[in-house]
Amino acid sequence: MAGTFTTSMARNMFFGGTVFFLLVFLALTFQNEQIIPQRDQRAQLDANPAIAAGKKLWETNQCIGCHTLLGEGAYFAPELGNVYKRRGPEFIKAWIKTQPTNTPGRRQMPQFNFTEQQLDELVAFLKYVSEINTSNWPPNIEG
Amino acid sequence: MNPGQLALAETPALRPGFAIGAAHSRQPPGDLAIWVFILAELLAFGVFFISYAVTRLHNVALFDAMQLTLDRNAGALNTVLLIAGSWCVARAVAAIKADRRAAAADFLLGAIACGGGFLVVKLFEYSAKFEAGINLATNTFYMFYLSLTFFHFMHVILGMVILLAVWLKARHGAYSAAEHHGMETGASYWHMVDLVWLVLFPLVYVMR
Amino acid sequence: MQYKSQAVARLYFIAAIGLFVAQILFGLIMGLQYVVGDFLFPAIPFNVARMVHTNALIVWLLMGFMGAAYYMVPEESETELFSPKLAVLMFWVFLAAAALTVLGYLLVPYAGLAKMTGNDLLPTMGREFLEQPLPTKVGIVVVALVFLFNITMTVLKGKKTAISLVLLLGLWGLALFFLFSFYNPDNVVKDKFYWWWVVHLWVEGVWELILGAILAFVLIKVTGVDREVIEKWLYVIVTLTLITGIIGTGHHYYWIGTPEYWQWWGSIFSALEPIPFFAMTLFAFNMVNRRRREHPNKAATLWALGTGVMSFLGAGVWGFLHTLAPVNFYTHGTQITAAHGHMAFYGAYVMVVLTMISYAMPILRGRAANPGKAQVAEMWAFWLMTVSIVFITLFLTAAGILQIWLQRVAATPMSFMDAQDQVALFYWMREWAGVVFLTGLVVYITSFFVKGETAKA
Repeated sequence: MAGTFTTSMARNMFFGGTVFFLLVFLALTFQNEQIIPQRDQRAQLDANPAIAAGKKLWETNQCIGCHTLLGEGAYFAPELGNVYKRRGPEFIKAWIKTQPTNTPGRRQMPQFNFTEQQLDELVAFLKYVSEINTSNWPPNIEG
Repeated sequence: MNPGQLALAETPALRPGFAIGAAHSRQPPGDLAIWVFILAELLAFGVFFISYAVTRLHNVALFDAMQLTLDRNAGALNTVLLIAGSWCVARAVAAIKADRRAAAADFLLGAIACGGGFLVVKLFEYSAKFEAGINLATNTFYMFYLSLTFFHFMHVILGMVILLAVWLKARHGAYSAAEHHGMETGASYWHMVDLVWLVLFPLVYVMR
Repeated sequence: MQYKSQAVARLYFIAAIGLFVAQILFGLIMGLQYVVGDFLFPAIPFNVARMVHTNALIVWLLMGFMGAAYYMVPEESETELFSPKLAVLMFWVFLAAAALTVLGYLLVPYAGLAKMTGNDLLPTMGREFLEQPLPTKVGIVVVALVFLFNITMTVLKGKKTAISLVLLLGLWGLALFFLFSFYNPDNVVKDKFYWWWVVHLWVEGVWELILGAILAFVLIKVTGVDREVIEKWLYVIVTLTLITGIIGTGHHYYWIGTPEYWQWWGSIFSALEPIPFFAMTLFAFNMVNRRRREHPNKAATLWALGTGVMSFLGAGVWGFLHTLAPVNFYTHGTQITAAHGHMAFYGAYVMVVLTMISYAMPILRGRAANPGKAQVAEMWAFWLMTVSIVFITLFLTAAGILQIWLQRVAATPMSFMDAQDQVALFYWMREWAGVVFLTGLVVYITSFFVKGETAKA
């Protein structure tokens, strides 16, 4: 009987293999949840509600549509996961306020008309992201 | 000794079914579907082992120091248990080929018991490590130790589930000397689980 | 066609092609904005064009999958659809939701859209690919559930084949993993971690089941090879896909705050991800070589073979190029990712939907295959689009390598925008390749209107 290849065994292999690897993945996810508190700066989130507000501003203005954050997003504009360290809070706020540059032919960032408080919230969010332990990514400050 | 040599050296000795089967045909025993799965799994383990070996070369001091913190006796006991399990499975296949159906089912049960013993020993080992606060982020050695042994641990469970299904069918007289395709399929998978441990144990616990 | 209710597929296919056109037009706008930064600013800022480009792609592929399911399942189950009316109704709901969403993107500033659509109730917007307003997301869930109910009931009352089983599993998985788009914690690490459960487990998980099922179905039809042989291949391919792809999710968990063991697990398992794609290529060519009939639809066979090759190149080879953690450290978040994304999406999902449309649309129009001239036009379209996507990928890869060198490796690294200026030439070449792609798409659409002698289906 050796050497046959039955459809029913192929199906068993498919179901068994899928369930098996899903379980391994869930175990890895469980371990992930146990370890990330040491890396994700969650204490900051509890201490400073401005971060969550900043994240919401980040989302509702669709910043990810041009920028990357920790390398994920669009590749049209600079990485912002480490922009707090690259530019500092005052530069970030000034930059956002003066957009768009309207330089002919250059990429343009819209004017979002943020209030001073909203700018501070965005900066708080970017500061928090810059302090997440990303295993030393990006390779240098330019992102 | 590299893992590849070990795998080659161990294969024929551990897989009596293979040798017996080879006398009749050049095809591997059991369903080809399981062999696709086995090859994919061996590939994953193989890449993992090579990663371990390469990483160890860059961190010999750490790996040697950390290796001493492992419970080598538990590992050795588990090696014995898995070899005994494989022996049982091989005997079960031999028994069913002689149409000794009850004996085949009993041998399968023996193999399942060996697998269960392996899991118990391993759980004791793990609980000692977890109590010491060790996890996948402790250091590179423990990342590999836990990843490799846990991935293998899951395979032992899967192998036991397969053997259990085969055992249930065997008890209901589904297999005979003429028809034992399913049993050979399950046996092949169990031998793979055993084989991987026979590389893993010396590589992670013993080799310095 | 064998079953009257298969006809609903036609609506889905037409809408899919319509959205495909929208996707490409907005792609060209974005491509131009890469080099002429203020093009169409502020009317259509880059982020808006990109949302339309990616969301239109996702929606038209989903339309294609649904159309494919409505076409395949009655034939596989050997019974009429459970409810063709429900299928038509859901089509209009889905199309209306998609159209309203795109109009919302284009006409309302995104922050205003968020406010209007109740994002404050449950903030889910503003994450890459999941930009849809809350009502759209809920709509997607409703449409998906009704669709799944319809398809599942059809399978349950008819014959259950391996193809419909794999297809159903893929579609249910698609709906299930989409639910993670409603989970948006403040913690960025957790947000990103589960965001990938939608994105990765879709495109490198359950969507591949749908892809495999569609390809297997078309290959049975055009080659006449035994169903049993094809079903075994299908099972092997989807097994390999999931055993590599599920843990392969780890290749997204290298640099987003997640622990470092993912670098090993992700690298090892995603390094094996090309294997199922290679198996798919072998599968397509093997079956066509062993064909037992000469199907009059040559174009469909070409698309099927193309899917095998291009998904291997785009998803397999270009994925492998940057999947190992030490390489990804430099390539993460650069044009290399964009290069891979373009060829993988085209090679795997665009091509498999076009394979299905190519095979099914003539039959839905009452003929076994399109007239010779129409097929020649379609094959021209195949080559124009496929070759231009290869060039788009090559140019983006070149741009990416240069970008990495200037911005991340050189002794005195350039800023992002300075590096972008240096690679502008490649962006120009990519844009021209994009124009060729659009030409191919126009030829493709024209091929539907070429008249000639046809045999009845």
